[in-house]
Amino acid sequence: MDFLLQGFEALADNPKMIAMWLIGGILIYLAIKKDMEPALLLPMGFGAILVNLPLSPVIEEHGIINSLFQVGIAASEAMPLLLFIGIGCMIDFGPLLTNPKLFILGGAAQLGIFVTIILAAMIGFPLNDAASIGIIGAADGPTAILVAQKVMSNYLGPIMVVAYSYMALVPIVQPAVVKLCTTKKERKIKMKYSAKQVSKLMRILFPIIVTICAGLIAPDSLSLVGMLMFGNLLRECGVLSSLSETAQTTFSNIITLLLGITIAFQMQADQFLQLETLIIMILGLFAFVFDTVGGVMCAKLMNLFSKEKINPMLGAAGISAFPMAARVVEKMGIKEDPSNHLLMHAVGANVSGQIASAIVGGLIIGILFPYL
Amino acid sequence: MLNMLLAFENLQPMNWEVIKPALNFLWQGLLAIFVVIGLIILCVKVTSFAIAKSAEIKKRREEEKNAQSPDDNS
Repeated sequence: MDFLLQGFEALADNPKMIAMWLIGGILIYLAIKKDMEPALLLPMGFGAILVNLPLSPVIEEHGIINSLFQVGIAASEAMPLLLFIGIGCMIDFGPLLTNPKLFILGGAAQLGIFVTIILAAMIGFPLNDAASIGIIGAADGPTAILVAQKVMSNYLGPIMVVAYSYMALVPIVQPAVVKLCTTKKERKIKMKYSAKQVSKLMRILFPIIVTICAGLIAPDSLSLVGMLMFGNLLRECGVLSSLSETAQTTFSNIITLLLGITIAFQMQADQFLQLETLIIMILGLFAFVFDTVGGVMCAKLMNLFSKEKINPMLGAAGISAFPMAARVVEKMGIKEDPSNHLLMHAVGANVSGQIASAIVGGLIIGILFPYL
Repeated sequence: MLNMLLAFENLQPMNWEVIKPALNFLWQGLLAIFVVIGLIILCVKVTSFAIAKSAEIKKRREEEKNAQSPDDNS
């Protein structure tokens, strides 16, 4: 009758697995009850349970989760990169093209990434892990996965869980930080939105321009930026509407589904349950906070030099969490003054953050490479 | 705090060999991202200007053509 007890014996040898079932359960609860990034947290939660069952064949050499991980993430980072095609298809860069200076806010809102890298290095993480922890601040799951995998971080699992969990916490974290950094008067600044028609040619040229500019200065960002911009070109070209629709819906859904369950490969108890995971959670929050501070302060700085004042809250929308960050700014604007609609400006800053975070991801890989 | 961090086996707090390159990340990364963004803004502005100009010239040519065509008919 020993064969019936094999699983229990293996579980007794590694009781940490039970803690991972709890973590998986919490992720499933957050996905279903709190509607926090359910498309990813639910597969990740279930995957956390699946890979932490004793003698689980899915993580063996030819097991399904192991194989998906090796092919879809370890070999070429294909899954997060392909997801970027879908994201590119979903983004309308029109609000950014009508006011290109909003692009600066997207760049400034990446400050938290670099500050967190320094802090993680001071705490004692090796450089590759520090860089991977910093990139949590990009508020961009696929970029975090790509960087952590590319620089061979030892904390891929915790980084991915923290990145996706905090993305869902943007509406809770950002308002408090924005309020701390701005005065009531600043939050009431109104901005005109001139709905200038962006020409179709400009919309088609934009993804090509971004790809060339990013490729010339930050070549390592090309895989991320290139896929994002390819998706956007599909959307804007006007002759591939069925491909664009598929990329936005079916294709993105399939990749998201597979990505969630595949990431769970990194959530095996021995790798995940470390005290360092707690520090990574704190540092991830720090990165988000400093990203927001960087964006808001940059908007304030721009106000010193420009005639038309920018509402500093727009800086908070410069992070990549799309469209949550833009919605947060719109809500805060209306709360201060019901006639103050900032949504279109915030969307402009938000999509610029999407591009900037992808570029920063590539830059980090490029700068880190000589140190590896 | 430092003592607490030293308790973690895998961490080496305040190691300047790691902190120095991390500081390089800050300035190199921020400089590079703003250079890329500046270049993109410049290209977008120039392209928008060129598209608007060409549309204006096209419109003017069409207006001239329309103004000439009634004479041709007469």
